[in-house]
This record gives sequence, C-alpha cells and structure tokens, in this order.
Amino acid sequence: MTHRLPVTLLAAGAALIAGAAQADDPIKIGVPVGLSGANSVVAPSVVQSAELAVAQINEAGGLLGRPVELVVADDGSGASGAQRAFDSLIFSDQVDALISMQTSAARNAGLPILSRGNVPYIYTSFYEGGSCHPNMFVNAWVPEQQVPPVVDHFQAEYGAETYFLIGSDYSFGRGMLEFTREYIEAAGGEVVGEEYLPMDGTDWAPIISNLRSSEADAVITSTAGGAPNVTLTRQLRDSGVNIPYANLAVDEGTAGDMGDVAAGIYISASYITGIESDENAAFLAAMEEHFGDELSTPNELSVPQYEGILAYAAAVEATGSTESAGIIEALAEVSVDGPRGTIVMDHQRHAPLTMYLGRVVEGGGVELVTEFDAVSPGEQCPDL
Amino acid sequence: MGNILLDMITTSAILFLTSAGLLVVFGVMKIINFAHAAFITVGGYATFVAHEIGLPPILGPVFAFGVGAVLGALAEWVIVRRLYARPLDAILATWGLGLILGQLVVLGFGRGVQFVPPPIQGTVAVLGTEYSLYRMVLILLAIAVGLGFTALINGTRLGLSTRAVIMNEQLAQGLGINSARVRLITFAIGCALAALAGSLLTPLTSVDPLMGLPYLIGAFMLVMVSGGSLPALAVACIVLGGMQAIISTYLGSVLGGLTIAVFAAIALRLRPEGFARA
Repeated sequence: MTHRLPVTLLAAGAALIAGAAQADDPIKIGVPVGLSGANSVVAPSVVQSAELAVAQINEAGGLLGRPVELVVADDGSGASGAQRAFDSLIFSDQVDALISMQTSAARNAGLPILSRGNVPYIYTSFYEGGSCHPNMFVNAWVPEQQVPPVVDHFQAEYGAETYFLIGSDYSFGRGMLEFTREYIEAAGGEVVGEEYLPMDGTDWAPIISNLRSSEADAVITSTAGGAPNVTLTRQLRDSGVNIPYANLAVDEGTAGDMGDVAAGIYISASYITGIESDENAAFLAAMEEHFGDELSTPNELSVPQYEGILAYAAAVEATGSTESAGIIEALAEVSVDGPRGTIVMDHQRHAPLTMYLGRVVEGGGVELVTEFDAVSPGEQCPDL
Repeated sequence: MGNILLDMITTSAILFLTSAGLLVVFGVMKIINFAHAAFITVGGYATFVAHEIGLPPILGPVFAFGVGAVLGALAEWVIVRRLYARPLDAILATWGLGLILGQLVVLGFGRGVQFVPPPIQGTVAVLGTEYSLYRMVLILLAIAVGLGFTALINGTRLGLSTRAVIMNEQLAQGLGINSARVRLITFAIGCALAALAGSLLTPLTSVDPLMGLPYLIGAFMLVMVSGGSLPALAVACIVLGGMQAIISTYLGSVLGGLTIAVFAAIALRLRPEGFARA
C-alpha cells in the first residue's frame, strides 16, 4: 500500500503530461536555408522574418489552439546540404510544412525528398521560373514579372531600342537574360550583345569594351549576388559607361551600400522598404521592436518568407487541419495581406505581384520610380 | 582597337600585381604560398579599415602593405619555417593558413560585401578612346612594383644575401649569411605584395572574404611558367594576359577565363622548368 500510492500518482501524472503534450503538440514549420555558403549573407534576415511571423501567430493564440514552432536547418546554399536538410526536417523533426528561401540548386535537390515525405512546401525566393512540383507553391517573382517593368520603362522614358546584356555564367544569370532577350525582341527592340563572365571572374574589361563599341542604348545586367555584382557595377562606372543601366540582381540594401557608384541604377523588385502601406509600416515597426539592434534590414528575400508563413497559417485555419492534401488545396486560394500587398498563389502555384521600379539615388538609398500592379507570373506550371 | 590594346596591357598589369608576391616566395623559398589569396583578401580589408579610421586614400595601400608584412612574418615564424624541408606539407599548411585567415576575416567583418570608395574616378582619353583612369594608373603601379623589387634584389645588402640563398643556401650559410632571417623577410615581403595587390584592386572589385581566391590559380600558373624569375613573370603576364583579353573580347569571357590555365599547361609541357633561364 505504501508503495502503491506514489506509483499510481506517478502513472496518473505521466498520463496527464502525455495528454497535455498532445493538445499542445506544436505545429512545426521547417526552414531549410543557407546559413552557410552563398546565401549566408541574406539568411539571417530570412530567419528573423520567419521568427517574427511565428511569434505573432503564437501571441494571437497559435493555430487550431496549438503553438507553432520553427525548425531551422542549414542547407549550405547547395544541393547536397539541401538533401540533408530536407531529410532531417521531414523525417526526423517531422515538420508539418517547409517554407523557405533557397538557391535553385538547393530547391531542386530537395524536391524528390518532398515527394517521399509529402509535406507542403512554400518557396519564398525569386527564381528563374518553371519549377513545378505538386507540393510546391511560390510567392516570389519569376522573370515574367521582374523584367517587363525595366524594358517597358527604358522604351517609354529613353526610347531605348538596342540593348546589351551582361551576366554571370550560371543558370540564374543565363535564365534571366534569356528571358530578357525574348521580351526585348517581342517588344520590338534589338539585343546587340549578350556576354557572360565565369562566376569566379573578376575582370569585366573586355566585356565593357564590347559594350562600348556596340553603342547600345541601354545595358541590363544579371550577375550572381554580392561580389560579382559590385565588381561589374564598379568597373562599368569606372569606364564611364553612362547609358541607362538596370541591374536585375542587386537588392535594395546592396545598391544603397554601394553609394555613388550605384547612383542611377534601376532595380525591379516586389518589395522595397519604402512601400507606403499600413501593412508595411506595421511590419517594419514589429521587426524593429522584436529584434532591436540585431535587426537585419528586411528585404526582397525576407519579406516573402514572412508572408509565406502567414499563407500557411491561413491555409491551416481554413482547413482546420495540417493534413497535406487539404493544405495544398487551400494554399492556392488563401490570400495574405502582407508588406507587399495582397498575395494569392493562384496562378499555377505562383502569385501575381505588384512590381516596383526603383532607382538608386546619389548618396545611397532607392527612390520609387513607378509601380506595376498585379503583374502576372505567366505560364509557369500549366500541368498543375 | 585602342580599347583592346589597353585591355591587354591593363589585364597584364593586374595579373603581374596579383602574382608578384607569390613569385617572390617561390623564387627564394621554393614553396608555393597557398595562403596568397588570403593575403590579397587581407589587403582589401586593411584598405577598408584604413578608410574607416580616416586615413587618406593614398595611405590605404601603404597600410595594407604593412599589415601584410606583419602577418606574413608572423606566419613564417610560427608555421612556415618548420616546413622548408617538406614542400608538400608546406602546401597543406599554407592552404590551411589561408582558410584560417579567411575565417578570421568573416568573424571580424561578416560575410557581406564591404565598400571602399575609389580614390580616382573617371576616364581619360588615350589612343582615341575614353578609358578608365584607374586602370591606366595600375599600369604604372605594376611597373613601380616590378622596378622596386628589382632594385631591392640588385641594389641592397639584403638583396645580395637573398641572391646568395637562392643560388646555394648551404654555401651562403657557410659565409655567415643568416638564411633564416632572409627567408623570414622574403616571406613577409611576398605576403605584403599580395596585400598591396588586394589594396590596389579595391576600386575595381568588392571587398569580401573570398575576394583573393579568383586570382590564386592564375598567379600559380604564371609563377610556374615563369620559373621563379621576376622579368620572366612580367613577360608571362604580358603574353598570357594579352591573349586572355583578346580571347575574351572576340570569343567571349567564358573561354577567356580558360586562357591562362590552358596556355600555361602547354608552356609547361614544352618546358617543365619554366622560362626563367630561357
């Protein structure tokens, strides 16, 4: 008797804990992201905006009465790291969904694992387009959305007819400029040069010489982010090239940091910090309050991550479950009012977006030139 | 036409600046300093720091040269001097040293891109074309580095000791030359020249933790082809750099990027010891 009571109590306690754990069992969102490698510069801002989204959901009482938990895994910005990250998130952490900004190589490597695990996946990075998977949604831009504002503006504002295209020799650089060439030719313009430098190249001089001798009206570049972008911009300016210049690969922060070297450059984006809306103001204030001095400036890669998590939350609320088939159906319908405006991923798993054409001003910073409402992603996944 | 000629000359000048430090170390010590790329990066960051603490732009390269020399001397003293008899281990050790320096840079400055405002901007009219003024200045700087080092080797007591060590180290030691000191100074100068190159490149590139890496393979190839002599290196840079510029202009930069590796391999097949004593 003296021994039995504590044992019974213990058993009852254990049952209570188990029961409680079930009701509070968190909904897990996996974030495979490049904490190391090429994406490591932008990854902190992506993780921060994911943390804010989850904190806001939990403050409002969670989803279906359950708390939401974020599981971040390093994908090394590449294929092999992504395979490990997808594998451990889906099969050992047993996440309910994957939502992340990744390189194209990492995304492609993860897709087969996504099929085996059958979880929904929201891809929040802009990319070269045409990647389709039944479980995948994309809430960022594809070339069909980013390029037209630039070319349309160059034609209208400068009457530009001949274009010179310069890129880094990799799939995103070539993919972007291939689309740009098609768009320019369809719009009645002419591409008088298209040149690529290897990823580790540093001397753009011969390409710049060819650009000068081509006497093009405008130049459009799509390099790898970071170093190649800065190197090309500096050398273009240093050579006295002063025709209209659009950079498809520079983000607002880097463009601002480059200072006077970047002044006058056009950028095309679905998010710039200067968007004047209540949602954007509230988002920026919440980020500031949440992270204080640690804040990584929100940008075009981190804001879609925030909105991706809100979209998943809306889908869970709409279906009343985290079961994959229902969520995937709901993700194509739910709308999110985020910093970039109202976003619905209803165009073949992609989303129409408001695109902003900005221009770097003297002394850093980006001014809004004009905006294009609800730019369609076009035909991305006709079979889905 | 003027543009291509200028591209050829300036490309050669950049190659010479980025490979001179590697050649100095190889010429005297017969080891390849694979931390060379990291020292180029260190030079870029030293210039960034010099700008941040308010030094005038002209002192940026001087500051970088000093930082490179101090770190190079330290590296020789702690690591490299133990490995002179083991050239293969020296490759591993200097490669490791490069990785460590790279990670220290990341720890100190983060992975992002830093910016140093260019000291000289604008273009100048040469050979009937507008050309980047800074690239023209680089030609003069490359010549200055080449002449400066030649004067050091041929005109000073240190240079005399160095030449003695290059020719026959044991005999030199027998004559009372402190060869360990010669090696320490040589390695420090080699690293300082790498850092100087990194500093001089900042107006044309970004400053980031990997900024030196693209120059390493080209520098390595050029040093191998030149066989350890500075004038031969200058010739190799002019020939291969010129060819790279021509091929990049007419056949595209993707092929242009292969030029040095391919022609250096052919040159070494024809003359494995390099062209130093041709």
